[in-house]
Order: sequence, then C-alpha cells, then structure tokens
Amino acid sequence: MNENAREKVMKILRRELKYTSTNLAFNMLISNLQRKLQADPGNMDACMTEMEGFLKKYPIVAKVDLANIAAL
Amino acid sequence: MLVTLEQAIAMIKEGKPLHIAADETLLDQLPRGNWIGGTTPYFISEEGGIMTKDKLLITEMDFGVEARIAVYGKYNVFQIVEECFDNGLTLLIMPFSSAVAAKYSKEAPDVEELLMHPIIGWISGYDLDLPGEAKVYDGTTGEAYTDKAVVMYIRLPEGKSAMVNMINIFTDDKTDPVIRFPENDLSAGKCTINGQEVNLAEFLVKKGIDPQLPLVADHNGSYINTSIKAVENGVVDFFAPVFKNIEYRFAVPVKDYEEEFLKSVHAAEDRKPVFSCNCIRNFQSADLNGKKILPYVGPVTFGEVAYQLVNQTLVYCEIFG
Repeated sequence: MNENAREKVMKILRRELKYTSTNLAFNMLISNLQRKLQADPGNMDACMTEMEGFLKKYPIVAKVDLANIAAL
Repeated sequence: MLVTLEQAIAMIKEGKPLHIAADETLLDQLPRGNWIGGTTPYFISEEGGIMTKDKLLITEMDFGVEARIAVYGKYNVFQIVEECFDNGLTLLIMPFSSAVAAKYSKEAPDVEELLMHPIIGWISGYDLDLPGEAKVYDGTTGEAYTDKAVVMYIRLPEGKSAMVNMINIFTDDKTDPVIRFPENDLSAGKCTINGQEVNLAEFLVKKGIDPQLPLVADHNGSYINTSIKAVENGVVDFFAPVFKNIEYRFAVPVKDYEEEFLKSVHAAEDRKPVFSCNCIRNFQSADLNGKKILPYVGPVTFGEVAYQLVNQTLVYCEIFG
C-alpha cells in the first residue's frame, strides 16, 4: 500500500472519508475496524495491520479498491 | 442442476465433490461419497423456482484442486477458521433451530480472522406446510445430523481467490430512528430507539411496522438483514441475532417485492457464481415459483451464511484470478 492510499484508508477508518467497495468482506472489515477505532482511537496500528493482512490475502481487492481509494 | 435420484447416485459415483440439497427422503437414499447435503424441498433451478420432494439440486464443487469434508458441533464450529485451506472456500450447512446454528450466528462476527477466509453456506429447512426437522448430511459417512454443521473445504488453485457476495433488496433511511440492543441475542424485549429505552414489540405495533420488514445494519454500504420470526408477549424473535455494538434501522418498505428482487438480480446477472443460495422469504415474497433468476441456481434456505448468518438475501460466491 502506498503512502497516499494508506493515509486515505486511515481516514476511512476514522470515518473522515467515505468509501464503499463492491466487495462484501471488505465492507464488513471496514465497518468492523471503524467500530474498533471508535471504541479506542489508539487502535489504529492494529487496525492497519488487520487491513494490510486482508489486502495481502486478496490481491484483487487490493488492486481495485486501493486504486479507487487512492483516487478519492 | 435439478436431478433425479438415479442421476444423483451416478454423479456421486463419479467422485466429484458435490453439494446436494433435497428432501430428506431422497438424501437418505444416497450412497456414501464426496458430498455434503442439507434438507429443503425448495429450490431455484435453471428452469426456475420450484418446490419438489422428487428431485435433488446438485452443485458440482469441482473448481478447486482438493476438497475435504468435516462435521462440527456447537463447541467446535469455529475451528472452521483454523482448519480451512489457506487459499480456499468453506461451504457450511447448519440445521435450522439447532444449537450449532445459534452459536455460529451469535458469535461469528466476533471471531478473529473470520473475514480472512471466504465462508458461504445456508441453514437447512423443511416443508413449511408440515411439521419437520432440518438435517445436514456428511456424504462420506452417510450420517444425517439435526445438531451439527457439515463443512466442505475446497482448496483453490494458486492465483485464484473466492469472493462471497450477496443480493439484498433492502436498505435503510438514515433519517429513521436508530435501534440498539443491549446484548447479542436471537430475541429482544427492550432496546433503545434514538437513545430512549423502548420495548421493540410495542414499538412495532405502535408504529404499524410490517414485521415482514427486516432490521438492517449498514456495514459500510453493505446491508445485513435480520428478519423477524415472531412477535409474542412483548418479545421479538429473530431468524438471526441482533448485536449489541451495531446500529439498526427498519428497512425501507419495498413497494413491489417481486419487481425489486428481479431488478436486483438483473443488475447482477453478469456474475459467474459457483454456488448460490436464496432465502425462503425471497422465494415467497418475490413469488419465485416458476421464475428463472439465472445465473443463480441453488437451494432455498432458512438462512444464509456470508461469513456470518444473514437473512432475506441471495448469497453467492465467485472465483477470481
């Protein structure tokens, strides 16, 4: 994940930016991580680790969604 | 595909991994083999929706390079997250009203790494006009269970990924009141509505809300439904649990269920599902008997699994890469 996409993903997790994927699991993950972060804003590193693990596992999501997110 | 008992037996003998949905009288007659099954007499076939106890709906799960079958109870069902293939698809069937289905439905969203493993499945059922008992089958032993989950793990070729998705006609209206529940549960008395403690059953009656409308939770634009099973003695029973840390609203009423459902299917008709299943409420409310909804062919279910238990949706899986 490049720095631009990373910053925007963090904004999405903080609900400062809105992005909806066509991928169900990715939307569910974003929603879960938003709730985790809302409960404890200090959780960002752990949330990003989880996000990166997901994107590594699903390169198709990473390719399409990260490009879309970077363009936000 | 919808097949006769003789055809099903021949397909099992070929040895391909199979998913089989049928009435229990047919499933009971199948030979041992590389298959898992669940009971339902309702199907969406290539020829359209149908209720029959004379045929079986078979899905060939032969897009992988290896398939394994396992059986779990309520105490170990979440081992599926550890025992699945690292790059695969997990197909899960659980009987309606079973303890294992209740356990899975309540706890799945909190299971670590659940979303890291594509899981699709359904809740088996029975003829709604007769007293019945939902069952699942492990074809390798021929055993039928009313209290266990059967799983087929499919390992995908390198470079391929499974993606689980769903078709859901329901959305919310963000100006509607927000409903929250005090705990993860399959029934609810008290809840808060816009922060005020309220009895949900009384709220339903007072506001004249159609109990056929599900509660919906917005998961970053993907809506997860929770359907109402019954409203009795001040308690609302659900087909899937509500969760304490989730915001709910009642779904926006649908003017023409059939039209909305078929429109949603039409919008997704370019997909290439290797497996799909569809809720009995969609079957009934969209009057799918005799209607084709290609490319979606599969069992009509008492609940669907798209990672977690969902309601009133059509769930499907595609393979990419």
